[in-house]
Amino acid sequence: MVLAALLAGLQAASAADVTGTVTLSGTPPPEKPNDLIKNDPVCGKLHTDTVTTHFYVVGAKQELADVVITIKGAPKSSGESAPPVVLDQSGCLYTPQILAIQTGQKLVVKNSDPVMHNVHIIPGADSGNKEANKAQAQGAPDISFSFATPESFLKFKCDVHPWMFAWVTVVDNPYFAVSDKDGNFKIANVPPGKYTIEATHRKANGGKPVSKEVEVKADGAKVDFTLEVPKAQ
Amino acid sequence: MRDLFAKILGLPVLASEHGAKVDDLIIYVHYLMAALFVGWILYFIYALIRFNRRANPKADYVGIRGHASNYIEAVVALVEIVLLVGFAVPLWANAVDHFPKADEHPTTINVIAQQFAWNVFYPGPDGKFSKRAAQFVTQDNPWGFDKSDPDGKDDLAPMSNVIHVPVNKPVIITLTSKDVIHSFKLIAMRVTQDAIPGMRIPLHFTPNKVGVYQINCAQLCGNGHAGMANGRLYVDTQEDYDAWLAKQPKQSAGGAASFE
Amino acid sequence: MQATTHALPHGAVAHEAHHEELGFWRKYVFSTDHKIIGIQYGITALIFLFFGFCLMMMMRWSIAYPNTPVPVVGPLLEKVLGADKGVISGEVYNQFGAMHGTIMVFLGIVPLAFAAFGNFVVPLQIGAPDMAFPRINMASYQAFVVGGIIMLVSFFIPGGAAQAGWTSYSPLASAVATQGQTFWIIGMVFLITSSLLGAVNFLATIIQLRAPGMTWMRLPFFVWSQFVTGFLLLLAFPPLEAAAIMQLMDKVAHTSFFLPSGLQISSLGHISGGGSPLLWQHLFWFLGHPEVYVLILPAMGIVCEIIANNTRKPIWGYKSLVYSALTIGFLSFIVWAHHMYMTGMGTKISTFFQTTTMIISIPSVIILTCLFLSLWGASIRFNAPMLFALAFLPMFGIGGLTGLPLGFNYSDLHLHDTYYVIAHFHYVVAPGTIFGLFAGIYYWYPKMTGRHMSEFWGKVHFWTSLIFMNLIFQPMFAQGMAGMLRRMADGGANYSAAQVPGAIGGLSPMIMHFNQTISIAAWCLGLAQIPFIINFFWSIKHGKPIASDNPWEATTLEWQTPTPPPHGNFEKAPEVHRGPYEYSVPGAARDFTPQNEA
Repeated sequence: MVLAALLAGLQAASAADVTGTVTLSGTPPPEKPNDLIKNDPVCGKLHTDTVTTHFYVVGAKQELADVVITIKGAPKSSGESAPPVVLDQSGCLYTPQILAIQTGQKLVVKNSDPVMHNVHIIPGADSGNKEANKAQAQGAPDISFSFATPESFLKFKCDVHPWMFAWVTVVDNPYFAVSDKDGNFKIANVPPGKYTIEATHRKANGGKPVSKEVEVKADGAKVDFTLEVPKAQ
Repeated sequence: MRDLFAKILGLPVLASEHGAKVDDLIIYVHYLMAALFVGWILYFIYALIRFNRRANPKADYVGIRGHASNYIEAVVALVEIVLLVGFAVPLWANAVDHFPKADEHPTTINVIAQQFAWNVFYPGPDGKFSKRAAQFVTQDNPWGFDKSDPDGKDDLAPMSNVIHVPVNKPVIITLTSKDVIHSFKLIAMRVTQDAIPGMRIPLHFTPNKVGVYQINCAQLCGNGHAGMANGRLYVDTQEDYDAWLAKQPKQSAGGAASFE
Repeated sequence: MQATTHALPHGAVAHEAHHEELGFWRKYVFSTDHKIIGIQYGITALIFLFFGFCLMMMMRWSIAYPNTPVPVVGPLLEKVLGADKGVISGEVYNQFGAMHGTIMVFLGIVPLAFAAFGNFVVPLQIGAPDMAFPRINMASYQAFVVGGIIMLVSFFIPGGAAQAGWTSYSPLASAVATQGQTFWIIGMVFLITSSLLGAVNFLATIIQLRAPGMTWMRLPFFVWSQFVTGFLLLLAFPPLEAAAIMQLMDKVAHTSFFLPSGLQISSLGHISGGGSPLLWQHLFWFLGHPEVYVLILPAMGIVCEIIANNTRKPIWGYKSLVYSALTIGFLSFIVWAHHMYMTGMGTKISTFFQTTTMIISIPSVIILTCLFLSLWGASIRFNAPMLFALAFLPMFGIGGLTGLPLGFNYSDLHLHDTYYVIAHFHYVVAPGTIFGLFAGIYYWYPKMTGRHMSEFWGKVHFWTSLIFMNLIFQPMFAQGMAGMLRRMADGGANYSAAQVPGAIGGLSPMIMHFNQTISIAAWCLGLAQIPFIINFFWSIKHGKPIASDNPWEATTLEWQTPTPPPHGNFEKAPEVHRGPYEYSVPGAARDFTPQNEA
């Protein structure tokens, strides 16, 4: 315990924050209205406004949210002791829809809706993570998951509601962030050194990462990303 | 008598033309069952009282004499033959062989079941569905529509869990499934049909009461089976149906969106 | 079990003297004696029945009070099955459902009805010293135990047991991403092998080892029922064994026997397709329907023995019974597709299967009628076995009659996959077959142990079981008629009128309320079995000792042996002189004349 506290203190003393902003270049395609949810006998009543897709969450100055920022080559560790992250199902939508967690870190899935959902986790073809499929009725207790292998945008879907998707990036170190609605992100306590920092969005740049070489010094680093709307096929 | 018996049995709301015949058969079979059961039980109770050890200390080696039981057997067999030949077989033939003709203007719909929802497809004014093939499946075209097919231009965008039909007009639904076996059950319409992947099975019925009805999944289809309860069949008046139809986006207008 | 050795009369010991004395393991665990194997089967099957019953009691909690933690066993469920907070979720419920069916049918009733009673009683009733193949008999029991252990172990693997129902329909069976299904299939292969070994053995024994004078028409009806059952198992199980291996290949080797082209199931990945889900259903129900008669025929046989004995008169229409059982055996192979009316069946095929289904109802009605009519002119003794045997008649009657609206495809349109079906087949197997089996246990217990089970507690067990069975299954007919569907983890809460206001045909509050009353009755039924369990074990040492080797004053050969029967069964090879049920023969000194009495 003492040693761990010491180490943590040491790390804090010699670590710095990486911050930055993500912006989008180009005009994203219009978001599509969700007619399925509108017509649903239970979920439709949970919304008064028109529900649309949220493929690009863009601010007034083209700031892009929901971009996952990771640091390649950062020292690996398990997130078993990290505080759990919550994925809520509310209004028959996943909130948040883009998430990042550490390997071993607990992900708690809640059902706040008056209807049954099922949490169907579908890893990529060559992923080491296992497919899981758990039903969660209205009022049922939270379900916890954790993942052993890093994976970009692990797919979560609800088979009861075909429009419900969430994407969870699993990282094998504690140094990652997801950009907020102003496009800002902050990765705290990064040990100084040279790294490749990657920014990945589900849709922009075709879902491929944009990377930058950055040296993190004792007072941290600032790195901005610009992602592009892919050309229509 | 029939209505009373239907009430005793607790048959649910009925809203289709052929459904009355389903109920009839259920009721007639239950007449037979009730007659047999009451007969057995009355005999049984009498026998237990009359022939217990105290009432009849010495058993009779031969027991019952006469052929009454043979006649009863024959009557039971006869009733079963009548129910089979007179009702079940011709009614079933009507259900699976005699589909509404084009001049009855049936509403044709395709339903593709999936874990745990019903995907509903309308052919649009031309009454013809777009071709679909696995090779066309992409992120934005999850159902694999052949975009070059002229039949598909006026198709409605696929819907989830919602079927609208006009009242008093035949409906033909062609069922399949994209993953496991489901069973499409409209209790009030007295319709049940398994949705089996790899098979396209048509069914027909004519709704005769306006209202909103549940669509049930009757076949175990996975851990969300109990929650596959969000499907609704809306039986509308012709005007309401036309108004609803006019509002629906067309598949070619960018519907059929993927939410992934 | 020690009690059995103490109870051995001196004659039996003397008879056994020329055998070498066997150690505990050879005598009770790796025994080749048909009576010990019968008892092994019986005890194991009763344990499995109890376990399957417990699964059901937990399922009933989920149905009555969905999404609330299961009391008492909740923490255990959380630990073993990962049931969050001890709540039964959809996948846990499906595991319980699949395993309840599998355990009750393949690990409970078939081993108890066919293997346990068959092993203990059949060689004795036909006057044979043992089964034809004692070692195959032992192998059959061992395969059964291995199969059972594989089924139980599957609860403890990641993801738990099979989730695709006891019918294990493809593609769902292949689509569930966990390995429970693989365990289920491998377990089934062992169980099927066990049944096949048993069936061969019974057939050979009944054909070859009948005592001199034991002609076919002098066989007790129980032996006939076992004979027909043996044929059913022998002919119906191999297709399922083949199908199970094909499904195993679908699961582990990426074949597509039962998987059509174009499936979109993430857990399957790329498959070649081209298979047929309906093929599995045909192969399954080709076993599945004869299996129903495998469950019911031995119980009918037991009930027939007990009714003859306790009415003190011959069974009315013995020959009709025999021919009906044979007819049922034959017809049960050509009715299977009535389980598949809703798979898109055309007129011709469905007419064929409806017709055969109606025809098979006739011999069943004949059997029931013969048993009912046997009461006429009787002098009925109401002891515990007789009460269970008598209750079998109306209970099986309800089960059989409610099969009629399901057998007509057009009325099945409404009732298919509802609780009406559940009530129907449970009336056949629960207050039907299981009551028959209870009757058999109370009836033959004195022959197995030399002591009676308590009559008083037997009657308590009977009346409470009868009442609660009916409180459980009667309301299910109403639920089914109202349209409540099977296999819902929440008992249809998502379809209830409360959940979907505005939609016509939601399940009414009364129908939903039955969920709770049924569940309470089910737990009470569980409590009602406690007197039986205690009675069963207590009576081994403390029950009332039997007055003679033939305490029920019966005619059949199993009662003409020492008690319990020694190795080799009969002190002197019996010779048979008459039919099985010569009770109250006019002019005879006693009201029973044993088959071997000269």
